[in-house]
Amino acid sequence: METTKDFFDTWTRSQERIVENLTETTKKFQQVFWGLGSDGEGMSGFGDFQNVYSSWTNAIMNALRDTGTVDVNLIRETLLKTLSGSNAYLKLYEIWLPLFKAIREKTLSPDAYKDLTDPLKCKEMLDRVFGFDPDAISQAANQARKFLETFTGSVQQFMKPWAAATEKSSKTFPQLVEGHPESLMKIFHDMFDAFDSTIGRSFHVPAVGKDREKIELLLRGLDDLSVYLAKNIEYQNMMYATGLAAFEKVVATTAEKIKSGEEITKFDEFFDLWVKVNEKTYYALFQTEDFSKMQGEVLEASLNVRKHFFKLMELYLYDFPIALRSEMDDLYKTVYEMKKKVKGLEKQLGEVKA
Amino acid sequence: MKAPFEAFDMKNYLKELSELNTKFIKGAETLVGIDEIDVGTAPKELVYEEDKLKLYHYRQEGKVTCGVPVLIVYALVNRQYMLDLQPDRSIVRNLLQHGMDLYIIDWGYPTKADMYLTLDDYINGYLNNCVDMIRKKTGNDKITLMGICQGGTFCGIYSALYPEKVKNLVTLVAPFDFSTNDALLFSWAKNMNVDALVDTYKVVPGDFLNAGFLMLMPFTLNIGKYVDMLDVTQEKESLLNFLRMEKWIFDSPGQAGECLRQFIRDCYQENKLVRGELKVGERLVDLKNITMPLLNIYASGDHLVPPAATRPLNDLVGSTDKSLYEFKGGHIGVFVGSKSQKELAPAISKWLHERANGETAKKNPNTRKSHSKAQE
Repeated sequence: METTKDFFDTWTRSQERIVENLTETTKKFQQVFWGLGSDGEGMSGFGDFQNVYSSWTNAIMNALRDTGTVDVNLIRETLLKTLSGSNAYLKLYEIWLPLFKAIREKTLSPDAYKDLTDPLKCKEMLDRVFGFDPDAISQAANQARKFLETFTGSVQQFMKPWAAATEKSSKTFPQLVEGHPESLMKIFHDMFDAFDSTIGRSFHVPAVGKDREKIELLLRGLDDLSVYLAKNIEYQNMMYATGLAAFEKVVATTAEKIKSGEEITKFDEFFDLWVKVNEKTYYALFQTEDFSKMQGEVLEASLNVRKHFFKLMELYLYDFPIALRSEMDDLYKTVYEMKKKVKGLEKQLGEVKA
Repeated sequence: MKAPFEAFDMKNYLKELSELNTKFIKGAETLVGIDEIDVGTAPKELVYEEDKLKLYHYRQEGKVTCGVPVLIVYALVNRQYMLDLQPDRSIVRNLLQHGMDLYIIDWGYPTKADMYLTLDDYINGYLNNCVDMIRKKTGNDKITLMGICQGGTFCGIYSALYPEKVKNLVTLVAPFDFSTNDALLFSWAKNMNVDALVDTYKVVPGDFLNAGFLMLMPFTLNIGKYVDMLDVTQEKESLLNFLRMEKWIFDSPGQAGECLRQFIRDCYQENKLVRGELKVGERLVDLKNITMPLLNIYASGDHLVPPAATRPLNDLVGSTDKSLYEFKGGHIGVFVGSKSQKELAPAISKWLHERANGETAKKNPNTRKSHSKAQE
């Protein structure tokens, strides 16, 4: 059996080896990067380059999974965020590369930039900044469906129109990003169709005995989910539209620099400019009453979904021998009130004694 | 004339990227060598405990020159060790070196069992008990309260309810007038359904609040900060500085639901404190009851608690000895900035020393001089 000292020696050596390997790997990948760079300056090879970079960074995170330090979670979190920041930095370059090329080749016209940029990539960038998970909405619907399937097999058919509507909606996102408001309406229509073919029908169904409470709660939950989905899409649309406005401002600012003959020789300088313009543009949005109200509505809608989900869960767990959340809440209330009473009495007693 | 990107090509970019990943690797190497991110290291002893609250007394290595003990009250949001983040960025150590006798409250991390705690419990209960404990321990009838951010609001409320126990009141970046929309959190809070929030979560998670803070500057705080961090990762001490701040930012206790409900509804949404309509427990809070000397410190560039929310306190209190101190910087800079260490902490110490023996600003002409930016 290893002694404690042996263990730490082994551990230290293994940490050293990780770092050595990482350093060696970096050197190799740097050579690969340089090789790609010398092959051509355009977009060709850039996709490969990004793949190589992503694999490499993923490998780093895997290697650092167990650093063994006391604040290991914070360190891992920080590394993940740094990695995410670096990837966003890379993504930014990918978005702007065609424009840089057009500027160098002097083919950039005031309207050409729209053709040169990929709206999906812009959306990905904004998703990264604001933590929007592009699959979150369909995931939420799928999770809800799975939950319902588990407890009520008959509901499976009921959920199908919703899943289909959600899938359709997710395909509409690219149009949203390109600034087509009619696509938002299409999403609403898909959702209303799903509503009509599920909940709408059930309004005409007679009471279903002891399960009625569950069904009613389920219907309310689905109703809340549809409200949340619609609100969230509206909210994200607001954010994407602002992202596009910021993009145009970055182009305009760059054009100003061209006019004044100012040079940007490093991508880092461009990155700073991009951050500054985006912060300013989004701040203007965040200050508006419309945004504040929309944010409040999205939050409330998401809370309603959560609240109903927990209630529904409690209803299904009621027959199991476990303490439910609402029962614990009651218990906490009793303990809180008793403690308050005891503290008051202790204080009075202390005053009498004094 | 050269276009901005003429000198900017793929090779340049690859070179920059290669530098970026080299920094990343070196940073990873430095990170592996870090055993602990130490914060709040000024020596202190636990002197009182109640539920999850802990009251600490800082060990004074030198001589106490200011006879009135100071109780530091931090916000319920985030942790009090921000005031002692690291030895060279520590208001606590700075004040100790100036001969102050310091106590600090650690509110702890509320769990579901604390969901019913109200403003009444925090102010008339915990805070009042801590004040009484210090009064008893030190033999002082009155002590100094130094409240930070929401903790400053709590101290203001407490001083209005118990003026007989408070010798001096010092508030740092503490909101009182919530009618302003100068900061995003103030306008966002007004459109938040706090009942839905509290009824759903019971104890509102710290991560929820953090998401709001990150939204204030999303590009800088989610991307730019971490790209910039790569420039300092090679130096262990610089990286530790970054990590200490990072630890503090994301070390966010949950918020006891009932207390948060009342704070957001009564203060942020209905501005009851300024209007004299706030009730804590059974008692109405009248800020005019604050008659002790007041030092109100605000940060001119504060994007969390704007000056419009802090400054009005001086017009609302009954004190005749009141000072307004403008700190040129932001909310966080008040605690850890170099100006905070060089100017603010010594100014607070001087202001308190001058009042330790009942002297007022009028009696001591140096007061105004000591706060070059203070306005009476």
